Amino acid sequence: MSVLLRAEHIDKRFGITHAVNDVSIDINAGEVRALIGENGSGKSTFCQMLCGIYTIGGGTFTLDGQVMNVRNQVEANRLGVSIIVQEMGTLSGLTVAENIFLGHEDPFMHYGIKDTRAMIREGQRLLDEYGFNNIRAGAMIDSYNFEDRKLVEIVKATYMKPKILIVDETTTALSQNGRLELYKIMDSVRADGRSVIFISHDLREILERSDTITILRDGEYIDTVNSKDVDEDGLKRLMVGREIGSAYYRTDYGTEISPEVVLSVRDVTVPGQIEDVSFDLHRGEILGFGGLSECGMHEAGKAVFGASLERYGSVTLADGTAINDIPTAIKHSIAYASKDRDNESIILNESIRNNIILPSIDDLAEHHILSGGKLNRFAQEYAEKMQTKMQGIHQFVSDLSGGNKQKVVLARWIGKGSDILVLDSPTRGIDVKVKQAIYALMSELRAQGKSIIMISEEIPELLGMSDRILIMKDGKINGEFKRSESLSEEDLIAKMV
Amino acid sequence: MRNFKNSRLFGFMILAAMVLFFYAVFKVLTPSNFGSPENLFSYFQSSIIYSVGGCGLYFIVVMGLFDFAVGANIVLSSIVGVILSEKFGYAGFLVGCLGCGTLIGILIGFLYNKLNVPSMIVTVGLMLVFESVAVFAAGGVKQTLAPELRFFSGAPGNIILAALAFALMWFILNYTRIGTYCNAIGSNEFTAKNMGIDVKKYKLIGFALLHFFVGIMAILTVSYGTTMTALTGMSTMSRNFQPLMGTFFGVAFRKYGTPISAIVIGEFIIAIIFNGFVALGAPTTIQNVVTGAALLIIVTLTARGKRGSVVK
Repeated sequence: MSVLLRAEHIDKRFGITHAVNDVSIDINAGEVRALIGENGSGKSTFCQMLCGIYTIGGGTFTLDGQVMNVRNQVEANRLGVSIIVQEMGTLSGLTVAENIFLGHEDPFMHYGIKDTRAMIREGQRLLDEYGFNNIRAGAMIDSYNFEDRKLVEIVKATYMKPKILIVDETTTALSQNGRLELYKIMDSVRADGRSVIFISHDLREILERSDTITILRDGEYIDTVNSKDVDEDGLKRLMVGREIGSAYYRTDYGTEISPEVVLSVRDVTVPGQIEDVSFDLHRGEILGFGGLSECGMHEAGKAVFGASLERYGSVTLADGTAINDIPTAIKHSIAYASKDRDNESIILNESIRNNIILPSIDDLAEHHILSGGKLNRFAQEYAEKMQTKMQGIHQFVSDLSGGNKQKVVLARWIGKGSDILVLDSPTRGIDVKVKQAIYALMSELRAQGKSIIMISEEIPELLGMSDRILIMKDGKINGEFKRSESLSEEDLIAKMV
Repeated sequence: MRNFKNSRLFGFMILAAMVLFFYAVFKVLTPSNFGSPENLFSYFQSSIIYSVGGCGLYFIVVMGLFDFAVGANIVLSSIVGVILSEKFGYAGFLVGCLGCGTLIGILIGFLYNKLNVPSMIVTVGLMLVFESVAVFAAGGVKQTLAPELRFFSGAPGNIILAALAFALMWFILNYTRIGTYCNAIGSNEFTAKNMGIDVKKYKLIGFALLHFFVGIMAILTVSYGTTMTALTGMSTMSRNFQPLMGTFFGVAFRKYGTPISAIVIGEFIIAIIFNGFVALGAPTTIQNVVTGAALLIIVTLTARGKRGSVVK
């Protein structure tokens, strides 16, 4: 196999953080190369230098014999490198076609005049070719949901037939069908003798979909292995640098759930989202919610927290307090961590300290006066309790990796002393080491008698952590399972689809 | 149904319904003084002047920028145009207004990029400068457009010129990179940069285009009023807001794909309300209160964000 991309001594620093440290790898033509590592291991930074989002700190990328020195994504696209990013990569206020061809309008320009019809026609042709016929090229992108916009992004990144396609933690944003479409595209890239760099935290997906796997740790190159020569435990060991095994999920089975109900949800309906949802949450229980992405489970979490905009039915605490809005929920010790971490859980352009103290400010104030020292000590205590990797509590959250952002979210609610935690996709986009820490924390909270609603799209997580699992389908509860060693993924899937 | 509610036709229907509603209200309240075909045509002619400025403002407002120097530029460009018209006739008038307007836009864009401070601050500072330059250029004298150069003072001249401006705006938005890139920058400047868009260049182009349209507005304004007096002390500030109200309509109706129609019809609605109050004999202060309130109500009812969405 010939080398398509050669990365030599690639280096990048952000202040005192050495994000990528002298990494050298070769990627062959016709290969799907997975890039794995913990959050903050440098894999996304490495790829973002390759595609021009970040400037290269040191070293060289050589693509097909040509040294790359790109300043932005469009220059990288022209040389044959495309990326599909983890978060939203399309722009509001533009049509679908304008998004697909943004920065690449030249074929449609004649003496400075844009042939809009030809652009829409070509955009529609591409969408049809990819099988995304439900998306109209002339429509405003704003009229489509997150997943459809992700599909538009896939078309945008691949229609030029890039030599290197980077798929950066995209699959978590897609439903099963969307994932299958993406896998097909990755397979066709490989079949054409081009290459894919595939980033994902789902190790099973990595093993199934990649030919070779490169592991990074703390910005440094660790190893490259063949996918067929390694298993999940081996990958975890390489990523973390030590054995990760038995303590990953809970190992206890058969423990009785307390009969004491702490929260009752009765006939909750959110029009168009969930219908007649009823359940009880018990003291010291981890109640899992599973289902397909659009089944309504995420809205159910919001409804419990009083965050739904139009909700019918009742959510009441054991003492009869009705939870109808967020301030009441927080006042009565309910916490909520959204799936959309960056937009709904965290304030990116604020410090770790200010994020952690946010719901606890009233508790920390003395006669309405806040003491800086007290706030600092509070934030420091809970950031450390969560083992947040940071330069200090005054560091901006935007500088943190996904896993450490999630630790800040959890530190906030642990600091608040919440008794009921609604955690929506608590380990989404998070590496195995932080996952393990979050699972350990959940077990600890459960042992303290706190109750957790865990909404998850990961079936092993539901099976591994929940005392009870509710499966939702089409906005309704479609099945209930008690924790059991004999419970299988197939049992849950049968109720999901 | 969902598609229809996002369609251009639906946007037009809302705008048309608003025109009919306000027309009907004032026609009922004051049938003899308001709303004859001649009256409506007169309201329309006065509103298109602001619509032209509203079109120009659209380019920068969608990028999240703001410009307080529009009023000062209308005054300065009008005065420069009238002065040049005295020597060069129509050519001097048109080139003076358009050239001065555009140069000022380029200057604002250039300084905004170089100083790297918010557009609101840059344009407030420059507004004071332009007001003083206008006083200096006019020599403290009221400038009057010669009677033989008043083709754009009424129909069909004013309508032809405004229609050309609207057509230009439509063409730029739909058939050049500028429209796409302005929207992209407004949506996410960082991503736009990563798509290879030269953000500073397009912001400068945005300001240049805005003030080119302000130049057209200056032609229409001084032709309609026939004179222009230079004033200092931020007195041009009030000229910023009427075109801006049209832009608010345009931005609000962008989701229906009808920004230009929304600007033009929106300004017409404001003219109907304003003239309706005049016909009722309401004092100016009341007229302003009701016009402002009507704008808020209209935009709230037609284009506010979804419940729970973040509005800045």
